[in-house]
Amino acid sequence: MKIVVPVKRVVDFNVKVRVKPDGSGIDLQNVKMAMNPFDEIAVEEALRQKEAGKASEVVLVSVGPAQAAETIRTGLAMGADRGILVKVDGPVEPLGVAKVLKAIVAAEQPGLVILGKQAIDDDSNQTGQMLAALLGWPQGTFASKVVIDGASAAVTREVDGGHETIALKLPAIVTADLRLNEPRYASLPNIMKAKKKPIEEKTPADLGVDVAPRLKVIKTGEPPARRAGAKVASVAELVGKLKEAGVI
Amino acid sequence: MDFSLSEDQRTLVAMLRRFIEEKLAPLEETVEREGRLAPEVARDLFEQSKALGFYAMNIPEEFGGGGLSTVDMMLAEEQFGRTTDILIRRSFGNVYEVLLKCVGPQVERWLKPATRGERTCSIAITEPEAGSDAASIRTAATRAGGGWVLDGKKHFISDGLFSDFFVVSAVTDPSAGGRGISLFLVDRDRKGVTIGRDQPMMGLRGTSHVELFFDRVELDDQCLLGEPGRGLGYALDTLGRVRLGQVGARAVGKATKILDLAVGQARERRQFGKAIGEFQLIQKMIADSVIEINAARLLLWNAAAAIDAGRDARALIAMVKVNASETLGRVADRAVQIFGGMGFSRDLPIERYYRDARVYRIFDGTTEIHTAGIARAALKSGGALYDPVEAV
Repeated sequence: MKIVVPVKRVVDFNVKVRVKPDGSGIDLQNVKMAMNPFDEIAVEEALRQKEAGKASEVVLVSVGPAQAAETIRTGLAMGADRGILVKVDGPVEPLGVAKVLKAIVAAEQPGLVILGKQAIDDDSNQTGQMLAALLGWPQGTFASKVVIDGASAAVTREVDGGHETIALKLPAIVTADLRLNEPRYASLPNIMKAKKKPIEEKTPADLGVDVAPRLKVIKTGEPPARRAGAKVASVAELVGKLKEAGVI
Repeated sequence: MDFSLSEDQRTLVAMLRRFIEEKLAPLEETVEREGRLAPEVARDLFEQSKALGFYAMNIPEEFGGGGLSTVDMMLAEEQFGRTTDILIRRSFGNVYEVLLKCVGPQVERWLKPATRGERTCSIAITEPEAGSDAASIRTAATRAGGGWVLDGKKHFISDGLFSDFFVVSAVTDPSAGGRGISLFLVDRDRKGVTIGRDQPMMGLRGTSHVELFFDRVELDDQCLLGEPGRGLGYALDTLGRVRLGQVGARAVGKATKILDLAVGQARERRQFGKAIGEFQLIQKMIADSVIEINAARLLLWNAAAAIDAGRDARALIAMVKVNASETLGRVADRAVQIFGGMGFSRDLPIERYYRDARVYRIFDGTTEIHTAGIARAALKSGGALYDPVEAV
């Protein structure tokens, strides 16, 4: 069984982003980029499934600019087998990405697609669900555990109030939550091997997909500055204030 | 001429930085407070790093190392500079390239075990009466039967308490001056080897610096490293890449990390109603540091590329040693100034970085010694030393 893992190039999670002065978006000049952390978890999960003998190949896909090849290379250095870069300059919305992935899935015929539950740049949390809908495949989102058994997968999901385990018939879509695993370090030998692993380049046109944005961003703004809170001298005063505010 | 990093270089650097930030940085304060790295913690770090192929990356693959080029190794060493000496030694190994002079049975006895991290090595050249003037050592080895007998004393031997063997410089031909010095591989459990006291230092807490005493230590013939009389030459050539990495690249990495903190402070700290980074005197300190770090790194890469191309890089290495260590000194000093009282306080690590930075201008040849060497080379070779059109 083949596993496809889409990976997105996003602003590094350590970077404090700034809004462009004209409010048209985030300033990405001279900003460090990295693989979306949830995608790293998805890559790790695919690699663990392969190491456990449940999968035969891990294929990474990135939809983005030429530099997204770097993001694929990071995953190849972790141990994935090969990559596909679908080159697009400019923003691609979740539906566009899902359509591209549908075309990739048609060509690759994977048994499982593992995505990060969301990307940390736009926090959309849509691509996995949309892909499942487009393919008509079952989906296990917010996964904290994935157990593959023959033609089905038991996916434990993080839901409000606890965990829920569902059985999915393969092929299926899984989206990775934070606690699914801890991504590995790429080892020196694997970093060196990654150089020789193939990355195939495609365009949305090659796949017959139109990724033109359907949404219009009207304005991007800084979050409102937090105002200073009130200080209290004792627990009794705190309880009094909370009562006053009507929260207890 | 493109100075941007390749994808695999970027990945290597990112992995090392993550390893350092996640695994090593959290241990730094404990090591500083306790003055030692607990052996079980050291063991654990070693095993994790080893499994990732991060140990002894400078040694060729045929001997079990990572086989990095000099340029790639400098990128790694720059990251190492972001943590402390002892944590680097235990996690990534200071496997000295002078051990590549090992031949025949020496390879299995010393080089490979050191590369695998089974046996740790220290370099023992400095003596109380012979620091910069390495040719004036008194430790001597004399021929006896099929081997040698070693007598003498060393000091400031970094990591000596932990080491399993030492590369020791000793006079083998007293009539030949600098050309009469040889290197020996001396196991610590040899009869007559005594490890002296751990000499307390201003910084580099957690790394021991010991005295070594050799009292009629009998060495078999295998213990001679390389050719007799070539010891000082090896110290200059083979240790050159070590000097470039462990001093030059680490100084650049340390300065970069310190500047990150200083820039953060200049952005966040507010006085007189604005961020202190808006004051021009603070800006001057930041701009100077940025320029100097970039210049130091380019000189470092230039020297590393010269080594990879097989050119004589000795003068370049000396320039890097002086420039990177002096840059680190200035950047660390400015950082204390930008942090003000908090920079002097032990509540922040800035004062520790400042103390740790100081020795970079001293060890592996002082600024003054290397400066004099650069001047001599320039007077001899002229433009070859500073003009690429003239360079060979």
